[in-house]
Amino acid sequence: MRALIIEDDETLRAQLVAALRDQGFAIDETGDGDEGLYLATNMPLDIAIVDLGLPGKDGLSIIRSLRKQDKSYPVLVLTARDRWQDKVDGLEAGADDYLTKPFHLEELQARMRALLRRTGGWTESVLHFERMNIDTRAQQVSVDGKSIELTAFEYRVLLYLATQGGKVISKSTLLDHLYDEATDRDPNVLEVFIRRLRQKLDADKTLKPIETLRGRGYRLSLTRLSDSDTTSSA
Amino acid sequence: MRSITSRLVVGTSIVLTVFVILVGLSVSYSVHQRAETARLDRLQGLIYGILGATDIDNDATLSVNTLALPDPMLSQSTAGLYAELVGSDGRKLWQSTSTTSWIPNITVRPIGDWLFETAENNGTSPLHRLQLATAWEFANGEEFPFIVHVVSEADSLARQLKRFDQTLWASLLGSAIALLVVQLVVLRYTLKPLHNIGEEVADIERGYRDSLSEHVPAELRSLTMGLNALLGAERERHSQYRHLLDDLAHSLKTPLSVLQNLGKPDQAERDTILEQTRLMRQSIERHTQRVTIRSPRYLAPVINVLPVIERTCSTLNKLYESRAVQFNLEGVNAEFTVRMDEADLFEVVGNILENACKYGSQTIWVFTDIESNTLIFEDDGPGFPDIDLSQLSQRGVRADSQTQGSGMGLAAVQQLMGAYGGQLIPNHRSQGGTHIALVFLQ
Repeated sequence: MRALIIEDDETLRAQLVAALRDQGFAIDETGDGDEGLYLATNMPLDIAIVDLGLPGKDGLSIIRSLRKQDKSYPVLVLTARDRWQDKVDGLEAGADDYLTKPFHLEELQARMRALLRRTGGWTESVLHFERMNIDTRAQQVSVDGKSIELTAFEYRVLLYLATQGGKVISKSTLLDHLYDEATDRDPNVLEVFIRRLRQKLDADKTLKPIETLRGRGYRLSLTRLSDSDTTSSA
Repeated sequence: MRSITSRLVVGTSIVLTVFVILVGLSVSYSVHQRAETARLDRLQGLIYGILGATDIDNDATLSVNTLALPDPMLSQSTAGLYAELVGSDGRKLWQSTSTTSWIPNITVRPIGDWLFETAENNGTSPLHRLQLATAWEFANGEEFPFIVHVVSEADSLARQLKRFDQTLWASLLGSAIALLVVQLVVLRYTLKPLHNIGEEVADIERGYRDSLSEHVPAELRSLTMGLNALLGAERERHSQYRHLLDDLAHSLKTPLSVLQNLGKPDQAERDTILEQTRLMRQSIERHTQRVTIRSPRYLAPVINVLPVIERTCSTLNKLYESRAVQFNLEGVNAEFTVRMDEADLFEVVGNILENACKYGSQTIWVFTDIESNTLIFEDDGPGFPDIDLSQLSQRGVRADSQTQGSGMGLAAVQQLMGAYGGQLIPNHRSQGGTHIALVFLQ
């Protein structure tokens, strides 16, 4: 997942970048509103965290511009303005969630996960598929009830494919969403990770979780179970 | 304190009353004096006229030509005017035909002497009389002394003077009343701009306008401009305080965020950091609220409640999308307005509605009661705990310990309502859930 952080306080921004990278996010960051709008408009983002009071373009204008350009990825406002009127203004401008400072990083991460799940149409923190579950809160994957050990990058690849609702994701798109601009990208490395992911998830080759469509990209081929299915089956 | 109008009316009435009394007295006095003088002149004229009609023969026989008498009233009985000629020995020489009643006796005086006096007339109206002692000189140098005596009843003149006095006082009183009425009309017209300013100030207090009109007479223009400048400066000052404190709060909250997220979650020091940052955050919130609570009520505008509720509900629908909370606003009258800063109304409405969403309500109803100026929130959530509900609006007391929050929600709402002269009344909903009434100042 690729996230943009627009926050003018350098210390807090560095803290956010470190914490979210730890969570497997590829991060673009800036402390300037104008640069923030450029990044928000031109980068292949999955989510953006936007402060309201910024040098250059303010946070609300950035969000309005994004929605005007039909950018539909979730935007979380992270601000010190805790009055209800500011909250209403922020969400009316097009933000999806509003978190006021001071905040706990755990709460920010939980809200980001919730927003990303909501984008994929999931309401619970565990994504249920036929024979496979992804616990986004614990960052754990299980197949047939058995926990699978994945590296951070493998987990990011799987989670991204899982939240795309069975769409075919090209190699370049996948790279765009898994790496930030500062990282060297090598498609061959991606192929290696996909192969290892398949091996870990499907040791006996009966699941076939990731499908390769030659020349087009990858797709998670497992059937998604709705929350009600999992509740009734439980 | 008396109004300017009543002061002017009382002052004018006193001045007018004194003026009318003085004018009345002086006019009456001068007319009475003039009448007395005229009566004396008339009686003198009569005496000269009677002397002109009198002839005395050489044998001292006195005769009066009645046809030549100066006033025909002397020939009419009971006309109230009598005349007689009396000899120096008191013998009556001639008497006018009008003389039928009692005439007071004359007093013998030296020749050439005039005597004017008012005499009682047996209890009826007094008599005015004038007598002249004179002498007829014959050719041989002898003299025939006699007295001309005219009497007039005072009654008719007194009646005329009384009538005059009545007319005088009535017309003066009428004029005074007319003057007072005119004065009231003029006062009303003159003071109308002041009344208008008073009404505009009341409108500002009620929140129906922001400033005084500048279409006022030149004498009041500097006053209204000064008041408008004062109001503007007060608003500006209030807004500056608020922004300054907001800026301060914002500038502290970012470093607080950094502090709060220092260290790993399992480190013991983190609990201390979290506790200390929580105390600092509460302190910031408390002081930010104080600025709002001390803000003058007359600066607050009148705002329509429905749009604020609708916008807040729409925001909450987004924030609590997964809970699919239903907001029923059918009971909110679109005309319902309150006197409150819009940001504070958002705070009040947002806190109450978010509490209802947080505590697991499925449906939230909002009603208004225009008569009692009350905004009512009800929900079908778990309701308040079984404690004294008046404690819920105290700072730090929370209805639930499971959901995130600092326990300042209802207390903050109560304080905000109090700042605007209103009240928050928490209660249990009869079908389960909470019932919160916000009673606004009428």
